[in-house]
Amino acid sequence: MLELTLQAIYTGLLSGGFYALVAVGLALIFGTMKVINLAHGELVLLAAYVAYATESKLGLNPLLALPIAMAVVVSAALLTYFLTNHIKKDRELNSLILTFGLGIILTNSLLMVFSANIYSTSTEWFFEGVVIGDTLFSMRSELLAFVVGVLSLGGLYWWLNHTWHGRAIRAVSSNLDAAKLMGMNPKQAEMWSWGVAGILATLAGCMLYTTSVIHPPIGHGLTIKAFIITVLAGMGSIPGVLVGAFLIAIIESLTATFFQSSLSELASMGIFLVVLIVLPSGLFGNKRIH
Amino acid sequence: MLKVKNLSLNFGGVKALQNVSFEVREQEVLGLVGPNGAGKTTSFNVFSGNVRPTSGEVTYDGHDILKSSMHKRVKFGIGRTFQIPQPMHELTVRENLMVSQRFGRPDKKVDQQRISEILDSVNLLHKSESDAATELALTERKALEVAKALATEPSLLMLDEVLAGLETTGKKLFMETLKKIRKQFNLSMIVIEHDIETISNLCDRIVVLNFGKVIAEGTPDETFRNPEVIRSYTGEENA
Repeated sequence: MLELTLQAIYTGLLSGGFYALVAVGLALIFGTMKVINLAHGELVLLAAYVAYATESKLGLNPLLALPIAMAVVVSAALLTYFLTNHIKKDRELNSLILTFGLGIILTNSLLMVFSANIYSTSTEWFFEGVVIGDTLFSMRSELLAFVVGVLSLGGLYWWLNHTWHGRAIRAVSSNLDAAKLMGMNPKQAEMWSWGVAGILATLAGCMLYTTSVIHPPIGHGLTIKAFIITVLAGMGSIPGVLVGAFLIAIIESLTATFFQSSLSELASMGIFLVVLIVLPSGLFGNKRIH
Repeated sequence: MLKVKNLSLNFGGVKALQNVSFEVREQEVLGLVGPNGAGKTTSFNVFSGNVRPTSGEVTYDGHDILKSSMHKRVKFGIGRTFQIPQPMHELTVRENLMVSQRFGRPDKKVDQQRISEILDSVNLLHKSESDAATELALTERKALEVAKALATEPSLLMLDEVLAGLETTGKKLFMETLKKIRKQFNLSMIVIEHDIETISNLCDRIVVLNFGKVIAEGTPDETFRNPEVIRSYTGEENA
């Protein structure tokens, strides 16, 4: 029983690292622009399909797709930013419709190009098992996704705190008018946050392809998961994203282990609602990007 | 330095500013006074770029600043504080100034010695390293607001009711700080303030606004003896 519980928590932790990687881009953009990018999951999926194409068409390791995927996804993210930036009225609300529409366009483009087939990596290295302390088991790809997720969030935290572009994003997120009066061009900070969110979505997409299966409709589900984690964290809080992602993933894993895997999302939703009833601003509510 | 000519601003049917004209001279402290709703903060909002006027001209050292966005006006040398301090909450006091310098100064240089000098001038040097802006008391937040603006190296500093909410002693001490920084940093200032004693003590000249119009202009003594100014503050019968 103890071993089973530890394994479930371990699996949840590994998934949590990946969930955090998916969600953090959404949180970053919301923190800077107060825009919820409903096409975020589709951007993650776009990177996953670039990884698939690199592996299946070029015969290369899907991780080698990172530079191309980054170029594609960051361009798509910046295009989304430019379109969002053209909304003159009620940007927070109208951007929901815009990005939702862009998500549909991306999903259908992927359907057209890659069909509705389900794909997963054929590189065996990712499926090989890693055993920690004789009891805790995972696939290499899961461990890799966790490490990439945690390192990316750590890197993002460092970047936000120690670089001028990062500080500018924190300043714009903290107080837009004050930031402008300090000479900051908020559009530049916003563009940087979309670019960085694109890089994070690329990493998440490549990890998605190596750990799981992909097909066009799952982008929407990724967006919903990222949104739930972002809200649970407290809109715009980066440390909160990590905690929220671990919480959701561990609850899902424990439910799947001790009850049924079909109940896992229901359980995480239940906890999500309970947290929001007790803490309406989320776990790290009112704490902006840092 | 700052020249305002026939500035008007309408919010729907409300005429917030009506043909307002005045100028701020080199190293002068100009008081902008008037009853609530007179158009003082609205004028600041036009100068700093928060709102666009309906018509009129505002030039600063010959630049037509109305064509520039808010962050570009900072680089022309126009600094501003808000009535309610708006620090970047999660940054330390020093970081707030570092960000201001990096983005506000045209040369983008971060000069730690200069930051210490500015913090010292507003009595915040002892708070600079570890204190987050949120941990400061009201007087200190007001001082940080001024220091942030100073870090952008302005030649004109616009202070919007910077003494509001302070108790009498705090007000006097803060006024002395303002006099000190004016000399130390060779500043011109526009000061919005309700307290007549403070404004008389601090300002070289005063412009009085009422219902969006300039109703008087001159030295503090001249202005506060002006019957129309007295009427605007106290009512017809006291004039």
